[in-house]
Amino acid sequence: MERRLQQVFFALSFLALLLIVAAAWQANTPSWKTYQRNFLQLEAQGEPNAVTKAAVLATPPEIHQVMLTGLQRVDRCTTCHMGVEDPTMKNAPEPFRYHANLGPHIPSRFGCTICHGGQGLATDKEGAHGNVAFWPNPLLSKDYIRASCGRCHKEGQVPGVPELTEGRRLFETQGCRGCHKLNGVGGSIGPDLTAEGANRRAPEWLEKHFLTPSAVSAGSAMPNFHFTKEQARALTYYMLSLTSEEMGSYFSSVRLIPGPEYGRQLFIEKNCITCHNVGGVGAKVGPDLMGVTRQHSTEWLDEQLVNPELVYPGSSMPAYDLEANARKALLAYLESATPEDAQLILSRRPRALTPEDVAIEAGKQDFARFGCVGCHGTELQGGVPNPNAQGGEVPSLLHVSDDYTKDEVIAIIRNGRAPPLENTAGPTPPLYMPSWKKVLSDEDINRIADYMWSKQEKKKDSW
Amino acid sequence: MNLFREIWQSIVRRDPLSTDKGKSELVFLNVWLHIHPAKVKKENMKFRHTFYLGFITFFLFLILVTTGIALMCYYRPYPPQAYQDMKDLQFVVFMGPFLRNMHRWAAHGMVVCVFLHMCRVFYTGSYKKPRQFNWVIGVFLLLLTLGLSFTGYLLPWDQLAYWAITVGTNIGSYAPFIGGQVRELLLGGHSVGEGALIRFYVLHVAVLPAAVILLTIVHFWRVRKDGGLSRPIWKLKAKAGELVTIGTPAPTAPLAVAASITKTYGLMEVVTGKPIFEAVTPEEEEDTVFSYPYAFVREAVTLMATVTTIMTMSLFLNAPLEELANPAKTPNPAKAPWYFLGLQELVSHSALLGGVVAPALMVLALLAIPYIDRNPSRRPGDRRWVLWLFTIFVVANLVLIVIGTFFRGPGWALVPPWVHVVGGAE
Repeated sequence: MERRLQQVFFALSFLALLLIVAAAWQANTPSWKTYQRNFLQLEAQGEPNAVTKAAVLATPPEIHQVMLTGLQRVDRCTTCHMGVEDPTMKNAPEPFRYHANLGPHIPSRFGCTICHGGQGLATDKEGAHGNVAFWPNPLLSKDYIRASCGRCHKEGQVPGVPELTEGRRLFETQGCRGCHKLNGVGGSIGPDLTAEGANRRAPEWLEKHFLTPSAVSAGSAMPNFHFTKEQARALTYYMLSLTSEEMGSYFSSVRLIPGPEYGRQLFIEKNCITCHNVGGVGAKVGPDLMGVTRQHSTEWLDEQLVNPELVYPGSSMPAYDLEANARKALLAYLESATPEDAQLILSRRPRALTPEDVAIEAGKQDFARFGCVGCHGTELQGGVPNPNAQGGEVPSLLHVSDDYTKDEVIAIIRNGRAPPLENTAGPTPPLYMPSWKKVLSDEDINRIADYMWSKQEKKKDSW
Repeated sequence: MNLFREIWQSIVRRDPLSTDKGKSELVFLNVWLHIHPAKVKKENMKFRHTFYLGFITFFLFLILVTTGIALMCYYRPYPPQAYQDMKDLQFVVFMGPFLRNMHRWAAHGMVVCVFLHMCRVFYTGSYKKPRQFNWVIGVFLLLLTLGLSFTGYLLPWDQLAYWAITVGTNIGSYAPFIGGQVRELLLGGHSVGEGALIRFYVLHVAVLPAAVILLTIVHFWRVRKDGGLSRPIWKLKAKAGELVTIGTPAPTAPLAVAASITKTYGLMEVVTGKPIFEAVTPEEEEDTVFSYPYAFVREAVTLMATVTTIMTMSLFLNAPLEELANPAKTPNPAKAPWYFLGLQELVSHSALLGGVVAPALMVLALLAIPYIDRNPSRRPGDRRWVLWLFTIFVVANLVLIVIGTFFRGPGWALVPPWVHVVGGAE
């Protein structure tokens, strides 16, 4: 017995040793080392000189990584994809092929996962491509990869990706914010979309959802907007580009400087000319912007764009939801803005400026920006189905002045309201008017009312 | 050469082994050998008496300390780096997955073994006089083990960790008056966050291990001082009255201390009467063997068996790691660590009864067992209903854990494990 026990002890000790060796062997033979060896062989093939060839083959295996410290990302993709920056690897087989058409987006500066998705930290193929349990961002397929451009290029035109601009436009004009929050602004009937692009939702799912919300999400309160296939694709792109990671600011903080072209687009998009003028050309409500960059510091102007009320208490300028990059671009444009250019911008507007335009424009801006149009329609026509509400749909706002005073309407916007029921025993209608008093200032609400009153149609025949 | 001999002498500080004094000092002067008695009863070394569960638990603890210290070299206890470090262990650190797997499986194993060890001690009645207090220390060691496992659960900072700790600490907060404050003290805030992570880390790597080491020393020491391991059931004498009790010394009895002119004695050295031991007959005294090598070789085999088992598991089974902790995204159902799922199951029926009263009563009952069960006999025949009671306690715990682990789906609804539920969140 005693002898046997000693033998068992030594046998087990030997087994422990074997297990350690097995674990070390397992650790020492990861798949990326095989890929690196294959790549070195590929590289050595082209070397005519035997010494260089030997030197190439003798390169020790090591993990390559791009650290994007500000984004908490570490991309180890180039550990296997060793040829992405090497044009001689243009025709090499994957995973070694050269990545063409990158422009300034060099992998060693930008990493890979910000565009492609996947698990940058992983060093095996399955894990890195992210189609594994518990990784929310698998690789994006070729059809949707361009959506990632929008993660940094948040405003203006992105060359080659018209879908993004279209998606953004649809989002802001179709009133999505009425139900969905984005960057803190919007309703809470639907889910917050601020980080929708970082969720594990397949692009195909999103696209189907936009075509018929109830097809992929049974019982969804989202109305069917009857989008075309192209529009659904555009919105999907826009959704995929939404992330709470400050990618744009991160990359601009390390290298990117936005130019004045982008700023000019914003100047038009945000209708600055309805209040401001450049050297006397434009509206006279706000100050002349000619030479404004020489009168004030960049910090002061930036603050003015973020929060006008803070710089000038009582300022009537709305706070625009502009990203740091966009603000820089706008200032870059103002540096070079001329009255001639302002004239050109004015002449391209659909109609001439009138004094009332300021309040109405601001109200319209708010009405769209805060998502009122999602339920009440871009032309205040209403009509979004709302089962068991009176009339079965969201009412039109074109005749509110028949039944309400302006003050009553303002009170409804401030406090919100549950829609009157068609059948009191029936279920609660999914859509309701939220309370806006914590989101909108009184001034905003007044402007919205002004805008509504400017659109009122003739009184209906009374009976 | 003389210097080397001097150094060696300074280390072992004993006479040469050729002398009898040297032979005895080999044991007396060696701290490791000194934890053991010089001789042990043969029957106590039988595997079917103790299943070596105490040793296995201790060896698992050694594995945990070793791998834990290695893991500390790669771990930063603040979010979200903590999670990134887990990924680095998985993908970059040499033998990182093996290391983490060993730590994980040894941790679960320790929870299991410490519980089984308690069951063995109960079923053999080994908590009875004179070992009552060592049982109490054992219960505290069980609680510390659960505490260690629970605090370690948070450290990977993934969804599993985050929500298990959120649920676990919520259970604690149902305690009246102090529950909320205790939770806040533990978490360093109102919810699991950076503060909680650093606190759990400190508890996990410093406070709790120190307490475990301290209590383990006392636990081992008491095993020896309470007369070694208890006698196996099958060796028990037919009748009760197995203990030699302390006789109150007659008032006239002289102090049992040899008088010495040169030394002053402290009170603690004045010994009267005898300590209580199980009575040992001369025949039994003969049926003993030296601890070294007989007990030692068994312990060594147990150690290697434990190590190789954990290593084999670690080679093939990977410790789970879910997504980065996301306070905004609650998994449905969010579950506590498995050993607390019985509690969570109770809580789902009544927060106060299940979350506070039941566990408090359970711990109190465990602590009080040796003082409530005053029946001196250790023979199963004499303590039938006590054994039944304890069996019901064990089985009820296991059943609740199994229900909580395998039979609870979204919304804590009863769902058998073979039915796949499509997530309701989408």
